[in-house]
Amino acid sequence: MTTRFSIPTIWIGYEDFNKLFEIWEQISKLPLTDLDIELDFESCKFLSHNGVSFLGGLVHFIESRGGKVTFAWHTLRPKIHMNLAQNGFLHHFSQGLEPWDGNSISYRRDCNHDKSEIMEYLLDKWLGKGWLYVSKQLRDAIAGQVSEIYGNAFEHSDSKIGVFSCGQYYPQRKCLELSVIDFGIGIPTKVRTLPTNSHFSSEDALMWALEFGNSTIMDVSRGLGLNLLKEFINFSQGTLRIFSNDSYVKIEDNKVIYKKQTINFSGTFINISLKCNEDYYCLASENLDASSIRF
Amino acid sequence: MLCKVYEITGKFATDSDSGQDLYEMIYPHLEKGEAVQLDFTNVAVFASAFFNYAIGQLLQHIKSEDLNRLLDFKEIPPTGLNVLKRVIDNAKHYYADPQYQKAVDTVVEEYAASF
Repeated sequence: MTTRFSIPTIWIGYEDFNKLFEIWEQISKLPLTDLDIELDFESCKFLSHNGVSFLGGLVHFIESRGGKVTFAWHTLRPKIHMNLAQNGFLHHFSQGLEPWDGNSISYRRDCNHDKSEIMEYLLDKWLGKGWLYVSKQLRDAIAGQVSEIYGNAFEHSDSKIGVFSCGQYYPQRKCLELSVIDFGIGIPTKVRTLPTNSHFSSEDALMWALEFGNSTIMDVSRGLGLNLLKEFINFSQGTLRIFSNDSYVKIEDNKVIYKKQTINFSGTFINISLKCNEDYYCLASENLDASSIRF
Repeated sequence: MLCKVYEITGKFATDSDSGQDLYEMIYPHLEKGEAVQLDFTNVAVFASAFFNYAIGQLLQHIKSEDLNRLLDFKEIPPTGLNVLKRVIDNAKHYYADPQYQKAVDTVVEEYAASF
């Protein structure tokens, strides 16, 4: 028997993430024998990049559990159809059309940590379209910070189906966004694998992961990736949202807000929003030179 | 010894694997007290994972004063220096603080015992 799920309108607000998690939860609870799923878009008036990346991951999540997914493509509104064609989502799901350049940053699935491909995606397709008025050096710095998300996803998440990304430039809001999702064990679960952290609440665990020098892997000193990203978001006046298991953190305006989520999502959903105004950006390290490096 | 980092990392010094490769190349020289110059010409993007393995873990075996004397960084852009400074700060804390190291060792032992 086919179970039909209606994809709702997905904007870029907090509640929109929760709509996606609700769909994931409903599908997660289905018996493995009932994973013949149809996704329709009749109620969907807008599908943000968050919805696109999540939906792509969700399809692979269902298929990895032995299920089958059918899209009711004919229910797509023309503008959404155009957007999904432009960002390559349709092409990824064998709908023929090659993606092209526009305000969407292409949908992609990475099954391996191919640093060159991921860096080219960040540098050329996300940061390199001229929406963000930054020097090449600062663009490189942003890409380096954001690449930490992919490094973490591949090293820590244990996602069996890879990592899913999509982005969008929103000209009205003058912001450039990127979402990166894995369907792994989640940051709090990973943090609690350390015996000293086993009693942590999900919020405490997420807080711990964002602190300087904290890492669940102790072969060498590490644990800077998320902390550096947090720092970058603060000085660039951007917004970073992380949903992982049943915890949520939003970093914006030098404030860090933690919240407990109703749904315990197995994975990590990260969204970065950068303001497209060059006044907001400065390179904190521009006065550094190699002589300042002391062990 | 002069080491052209680009030949190991390409443009992107962002991953732990190439960091480990660089570490394995330079550590034997530094251990013997030989000077090493790292030339970052054409390396454009940096992430902490790379420096953790390439540079941070040197502090596990080699004293800070020796690294200051022996290791030289050439043509590294400010964005790379910013990440490198943070990695060194973290590594010094991690490897040099006996209490911190003891806490880390305890955690590792407990973790191993939990299997």
